[in-house]
Amino acid sequence: MGKASILSPLKAIRFLFQKPLTLRYPFEKKEPAPRYRGFHLNDWDRCTGCGNCADICPNEAITMIEVPAIEPEPGNKNERPQLDYGRCCFCGLCVDICPPGSLRLSRDYFHIHFDTDTFVFVPKDEKKDEATFLPAEEYSILKASLTHRKRDYEGFSPDLDFALFEPQRVPMPQVSAQERKQSFVEMVRGYSAEQARSEASRCLECGLCEEACPANLRISDYVKAISEDDSEEALRIILEDNPLPAICGRICMKHCEDACSLGLRGEPVAIRWLKRYAADTVESYRETLRAELPAETGKKVAVIGAGAGGLAVAYFLRLKGHGVTVFESQPAGGGMLRMGPPRYRLPDDAVKDDVDYIASFGVQFRFNTAVGKNVQFDELRERYDAVFMAVGTHRSYTARIENEDRALMALDFLNAARVGPAPDVGRHVIVIGGGNVAMDVARTCLRLQQMQYPGQESVTRAVCLESWEEMPASQEEIEEAKEEGIQFNPAWGPKGILLEQGEVSGLECKAVKSVFDEQGRFSPTFYEDRTMVLEGDMVIEAIGQGYDLSFIPDHLMESLAFTERRKVKVNEDGMTSVPGVFAGGDIVNLNMDAVTAIADAKKAAEGIHKMLSEH
Amino acid sequence: MAQISEIAGSGSGRELELYFGPQHLGMVGNFSITLKVEGDRVLKATANPGYLHRGFEKLMEYRTWIQNFPMVCRINVVEPDSMEMVYAMAVEKLAGIEVPERAQYIRSICLELARVSSHLFGLWAYSNMLGFDTPAQWAMYHRDLVLDLFEELTGGRVYHIYLWPGGVRRDFPKGFRDRIVHTLHSIGGWVPDYDATFFNNRLFYERARGVGQLSQEQAKALGATGPVLRATGMKFDIRKVEPYAAYDKVDWEVPTRQEGDAYSRIWVVRDELIESVHMVFKLLDAMPDGEVYNRIPNPFKWRIPPGEAYVRCESSRGELGLYLVSNGGDKPYRVHFRTPSYPHGLTILEKALEGASIADVGNTMISLYVVAPEIDR
Amino acid sequence: MIASLRTGLEATFKGVEVTDREDGMMFVLAPGESIPAVLRYLREHGLDHLALVSCVDWIEEGELEVVYLLTCYMRNNTDYGPEQRRHVLLRTKLPRESAELDSVIGIFENAEPHEREIHELYGVHFEGHPRLIPLFLERGYEIPPFRKDFDTRQYVEKTFGAIPPVED
Repeated sequence: MGKASILSPLKAIRFLFQKPLTLRYPFEKKEPAPRYRGFHLNDWDRCTGCGNCADICPNEAITMIEVPAIEPEPGNKNERPQLDYGRCCFCGLCVDICPPGSLRLSRDYFHIHFDTDTFVFVPKDEKKDEATFLPAEEYSILKASLTHRKRDYEGFSPDLDFALFEPQRVPMPQVSAQERKQSFVEMVRGYSAEQARSEASRCLECGLCEEACPANLRISDYVKAISEDDSEEALRIILEDNPLPAICGRICMKHCEDACSLGLRGEPVAIRWLKRYAADTVESYRETLRAELPAETGKKVAVIGAGAGGLAVAYFLRLKGHGVTVFESQPAGGGMLRMGPPRYRLPDDAVKDDVDYIASFGVQFRFNTAVGKNVQFDELRERYDAVFMAVGTHRSYTARIENEDRALMALDFLNAARVGPAPDVGRHVIVIGGGNVAMDVARTCLRLQQMQYPGQESVTRAVCLESWEEMPASQEEIEEAKEEGIQFNPAWGPKGILLEQGEVSGLECKAVKSVFDEQGRFSPTFYEDRTMVLEGDMVIEAIGQGYDLSFIPDHLMESLAFTERRKVKVNEDGMTSVPGVFAGGDIVNLNMDAVTAIADAKKAAEGIHKMLSEH
Repeated sequence: MAQISEIAGSGSGRELELYFGPQHLGMVGNFSITLKVEGDRVLKATANPGYLHRGFEKLMEYRTWIQNFPMVCRINVVEPDSMEMVYAMAVEKLAGIEVPERAQYIRSICLELARVSSHLFGLWAYSNMLGFDTPAQWAMYHRDLVLDLFEELTGGRVYHIYLWPGGVRRDFPKGFRDRIVHTLHSIGGWVPDYDATFFNNRLFYERARGVGQLSQEQAKALGATGPVLRATGMKFDIRKVEPYAAYDKVDWEVPTRQEGDAYSRIWVVRDELIESVHMVFKLLDAMPDGEVYNRIPNPFKWRIPPGEAYVRCESSRGELGLYLVSNGGDKPYRVHFRTPSYPHGLTILEKALEGASIADVGNTMISLYVVAPEIDR
Repeated sequence: MIASLRTGLEATFKGVEVTDREDGMMFVLAPGESIPAVLRYLREHGLDHLALVSCVDWIEEGELEVVYLLTCYMRNNTDYGPEQRRHVLLRTKLPRESAELDSVIGIFENAEPHEREIHELYGVHFEGHPRLIPLFLERGYEIPPFRKDFDTRQYVEKTFGAIPPVED
């Protein structure tokens, strides 16, 4: 303590002659800091309408409102957040939880208005709302309000390092490319309980995935159950909508993950692997589902094809008490799933588990029974109350090139590799095609080469019309194929198979000018003069498949309606234009995958049930 | 202004009941005291809190762990950072979350800046109440400079929502260190002026000497902490007693006085202010590089295992504690803040006002460093 | 000291359970009637700072738990030892329907507002408290408002009316 004096304060008199420190508002303004937390900005192009901001808001200041102008699509709801500035406390939790990073806070904080309704506001940003956001020279603080704001005035903005969600997924343990190409061992090892729990706990429960899933699985719920270490409950939720969890947990085209909001700035939740985890962990599906079969209705349904669609429809119909008989030309169930995907993607046990589960509900299977050959279609229509056909696409297309009869067909090859004794492959194989089937063929071929020519030089080349960007195969498949050593030749079209002394010696290719026409339809054009030759002793074509409906008698074929894309036309109940005949799967939908077949089956099962209940 | 009413049936007519606050020039904050007076002597004082009772502790039971962050800071508007700190510490303790080292330093720097801003605010309140308008305005201005720093660091001037479980919410912006140093230097340059006009002013000495005097024994018996206790000679400071953040990483002193009256309390505040500024410089020099945040679990699925924790930190007013109970849910089961103003503003104030003169009521209350919202919560 | 406090407590009082935790926290569970005696004992054994009196409503167990949090002040000004870092949490469980305790103001004077607050917000009666009147609130409540069965949101809607939704 200094000496207390009555005169010392006089020292302050000198401040009378100094300039004041106070800001002379509004003539002088103070710029808010770059991180200032003011009114919201929302980039509508990036916003997905996931609603996480509304969920985390501690004051319920955010409501998701429907915006009719936005066309909803998978991964984008037509909802946008609306802010109530009477409740907002500018904490910025909404910014830190926003997966696409579209929601930001600006440095604006002025809104003066007599009408309290103006304090409720749907934020946009200068990209979508040029009328509100004015350039600096037009802006004046005297007019500042929510509808009169400064351009380029972003404040508190998202930072992935500080986000409230985890952008990285738990890495999936996989067999290395070197090791896995030696055999058909399943390459994805699956999550451990700990890994599954921590991956599942990344889910923000926004439900964008559920809207994207063709079969509308309750994804948020089962992922949540896994995060709570309850895989039985998870599987029970899955089985309500999908009877093939072990299959779909491996080879699903995962439309859900494409829609996952976490995928926008990070990696989507590994929904497919989590489903697989639930299916692999639980001992018995049947006990898990805890479903009592209802009393038999006495109605009978014939199902043609024991693929994903046929199996699923049988399952859903049995759960409603109808008798089901499945006719399948192959000796076992699974359809395309049994023949198509190689074992390193879908092991036999996974197919068997799911098929056995469906069989356990008392579904009658007639294997080795081809409709049209062993049993007639009309007969089925007479003997059964309804017919569901999901026969899939089994006929491989060919490229119609020179010596095309010397090429092997993708499906025959895959089927042989999977079911029969492994076919002999050449040392230099050329695979034509850039889709997922082509990848399966190429990678299967590579494995067979490793097994048949151990320690010797061998190569598998892929050639396809599409460029890297256009290639229809999934990115994952392309990456894995590259890792394993498949040599790609994108943007080359096949011209003819070259023969030398009657043996295949290579494939002549021509450069591709364009693959699609202006309307986006498949219509390739070539530079006929730019050619190259790929050497090889075996050519496999994998350029697509079509269906074969020759089992349907002509008198019905005439009345069977098709869509513009040459698919069987069905109504909202899954019924074709032939009364009592329902259809689903690859012959109906464009996705041509298992989960969409299940979705079709569910729709058709409802339709069949409705029809049978009416009579 | 104060209302006066005669106490019914007191006979002599000399005992009056006087309502002091909540609207009173000598009262800072929403708080009132009912005084029973005879002449200008206070016979008995009754503190009436509750004007700011928002039931935060109950409201927090309805919100998830992370949703409570924008709420805790609002319990004490003058120094929200210590509130965030205790909540973050308690959550970290219950959930077992580690904090990176750099974040510990940033937390300490933040808390010391908050102490500077809070002490300047307290200085404004005290000098303004005594009529020393000039240093009061300076203190307000200088507090604003500290708020500018907070605005730059956190995006908010008053409610920072910055100290976060797992660390802090954002790293220092570019060049921020230099701006802290610059701001604190320019405030420090005013210390001689503050001393001349206020601390070494004879009028302050005469006005504050002996007001609301407490012995160390009394202070302990009544649960005093912070500057109130340190003005009676005890170096009791949670930052030393139970070091948290980075307080054990640098050297610093705990200022004390012996007399236990308003004069020594305000001097302790002044010395602490200067010590805090020095501490910030030391922390800035010692601060390591690296991460500042360990990501917390997904807020929508975040459950904290059952358990209870009592954590405490030294706010500018004394021991700020938090008793936090979790029953394993996604929300706290019970939150109870032990705020320093609670004993200071209720038990001690009532005690200290017995026998005081009416003119010293505001003087006593503000020198006890009471912030009303802290009492009510 | 810590070990002796524990054995001392267990030897002196009947029905007292003591648990030590590694982080320096000691939990003492005592029956309601021995709370003043245990508090006095703890105070005499160095725990002279009553930081907080709190209450938790364990509605599923039908119990109200009153918690006294004790720490130590310093003996002298160089005293920054483990002793000062010690927290003792003394608690007792009371039936929700008839929660009653003896006031401890005679032992720790600063318990006075805490007991008033717990009486007001949780409905625990403190026998011997000189002014057990509401501390914060004006209105009377059927259920003490901090108990778990008091629904804040419902109360607000009933008393003040819900905020009307804003029209688009």
